[in-house]
Amino acid sequence: MISSHRLLALGLIVVTVGACSDEASEGTDADGTEVVNIGFSGPLSGGAAFYGQNVVNGLTMAIDELNQAGDIEVNEQAVRFELVTLDDRYLPNESATNVRRLLQQSRTPVIFVPHVGGILAVQPMSVRPPEFLLSAYSSDPRILEAANPLTLMIPPRYDGYFEPFVGATMEAYGNRLGVLPTNTSYGRAWAEGVTEEWRRQGGEVLGDHSVDYNTTTDFAGPVTQTLADAPDVILVGGPSQPTALIVHALRQQGYEGGFIVMDQAKFEEMEQIIPRTELEGSVGVYPLEAYTSVGTVGFVERFHEKFGRERLPTSEVALNYFGMHIVAQAMELAGTVADPQAIRGQLTEAARQLSEDRKPYEYDTVTKEGHLTGDVVTAFIQNGEYTAIPIPRRSGRGAPVE
Amino acid sequence: MTLFFQQLVNGIALGSIYGLVALGLTLVYGVLKIPNFAHGALYMVGAYITFVAAVVYGMGYIGAIAVAVIVLAGIGVALERVVFNPLRHAPRLHSMIAALGVLLFLEAGAQLAWGAEFRRLPSPFSGTVVLFGLPVATQRLLVIVAAVAVMIGLSLFLKRTTTGAAIEAMAQDRAGALLVGIDTRKIAMLTFAISAALAAFAAALVAPLNLISPTMGEAVNLKAFVIIILGGMGSIPGAVVGGYLLALVEVLGGTYISSSFSQLIAFAVLVVVLAFRPTGLFTRGV
Repeated sequence: MISSHRLLALGLIVVTVGACSDEASEGTDADGTEVVNIGFSGPLSGGAAFYGQNVVNGLTMAIDELNQAGDIEVNEQAVRFELVTLDDRYLPNESATNVRRLLQQSRTPVIFVPHVGGILAVQPMSVRPPEFLLSAYSSDPRILEAANPLTLMIPPRYDGYFEPFVGATMEAYGNRLGVLPTNTSYGRAWAEGVTEEWRRQGGEVLGDHSVDYNTTTDFAGPVTQTLADAPDVILVGGPSQPTALIVHALRQQGYEGGFIVMDQAKFEEMEQIIPRTELEGSVGVYPLEAYTSVGTVGFVERFHEKFGRERLPTSEVALNYFGMHIVAQAMELAGTVADPQAIRGQLTEAARQLSEDRKPYEYDTVTKEGHLTGDVVTAFIQNGEYTAIPIPRRSGRGAPVE
Repeated sequence: MTLFFQQLVNGIALGSIYGLVALGLTLVYGVLKIPNFAHGALYMVGAYITFVAAVVYGMGYIGAIAVAVIVLAGIGVALERVVFNPLRHAPRLHSMIAALGVLLFLEAGAQLAWGAEFRRLPSPFSGTVVLFGLPVATQRLLVIVAAVAVMIGLSLFLKRTTTGAAIEAMAQDRAGALLVGIDTRKIAMLTFAISAALAAFAAALVAPLNLISPTMGEAVNLKAFVIIILGGMGSIPGAVVGGYLLALVEVLGGTYISSSFSQLIAFAVLVVVLAFRPTGLFTRGV
């Protein structure tokens, strides 16, 4: 009998302890602060690991600031954020598995996914219970076309770049366009958009020589081929570093024309590999460090303090940082950390109210479709200087939600 | 016509790299019957060692190559001792799985040690020379000359020296080699050392033309397997010829058919060759 009592007691202890720990994981600290898990599923190993790490760095930076300041209160309850990261190696099916894990194990009301394949794969999951707010970091307009009510798309959509990029380079260099982008689905879509616009503006599109930027051992072959058509402007783009190598190889073989650089590649990262003189005549994303607004300068300074001088704060870091701050602000406004619909409803107001020093970019609104927008500026490198080209506002059909 | 010759040079440079990598792979397969899936990872580690020696320790490019070759030869020996030698009596599947394990270990290890970011190795040979009216990057010329020299050196070593003959004997019959007094332990270690050193040498040559990252070996690894299957598993001339063949088909096929299909064309060649010669172009014989 005694032994059965003991067993019962032991069982009770186990159950009690189990219940306690369960409660803790649901989210309250010892001091009564509510813990909110923020999910991330992106590439942390493999060829795109560096990219994924940049995104995580942006999120970590925002979360650390929020926790340190300790001023986030939702419904008069202090809140602390915790980032839960899972590696999906850039594979959409892995993103879906990770999102399921994040929802079940960490109960994340918000999940960041930084690649279009993964985003499109998990969008339908966001509206099935348990719902979550999908924070999408990719410039692909298909994200908005899906018309998902629980998506926040962070970066500017890339189709806004086509017209000004084509106009500027065609005027400066001539009307023959060489095509040498990476052959991912994103690269193909970009190339299609640019070539269509190039023809519309009366230019001639030469042979398509797109190659896989990640698996090509030597770019000399495709580079020689592209130059054989004597282009005036060449479309390039993929991850920054191989894009820089391609530009270098083109210059080495005597090319003197301009470049349209896809928004995945960042000038500041390319300049770590090749001198700016080789980038002369390129249009692309404006380097973050060249912005002079208060929010950007402060962000860049804090980034360097946290991650060191030799690391670059690119737009990946800055925009995800920005996105996290908007989400936190929206939670405060909505008075809930657990209801994605309510949080989503406050995003526009949150973007408007966010303090200047937490805005690396001067984007000030979230549209009805869930797109963070504002005045986008791009860069044209002329005589070794960044010249700004403004991009007209555009996001679906939408005006901001009221 | 200029385009053709320019692409020919590009193809030969690429083929030199493919050939060097495939040589190491075919050597290990020929002698020890291990398909070393970690070969591409050894190539990647070779590139990092060159980078560290050249950039962090400020050695010259040539000195850094030497360091990488020596270090990788050491890693090759260690791999043979620690991983593959204990498995020599186990079913062959075990060493295949072990090789995959080494691949994952090295890639993850490189990301941990050096980070996921791309590295660039500067080379003193960064200029361009004009050869018969064609602009050719000096580094590409260096790749061709150095690779051909190493290939000739390796074949002389195998054909003209006693140690080379011992390697060949072991490739033909391990038990027989043991019977005539060849120290098969030593030969196994030597084979791994040469194989890894070849990978490091190829990586050091190609590094200034490309970027160094933990996954840089994956594409080359796949190509190397295609090459040794194409050339005949375990065949030395097969690896060299297969390397140049694959590279030329890729580059010229890309030029005259479609660059989007250059990878596809390469694999189509493999299928065609295997349809007519299922054992590869050169049947075995180191």
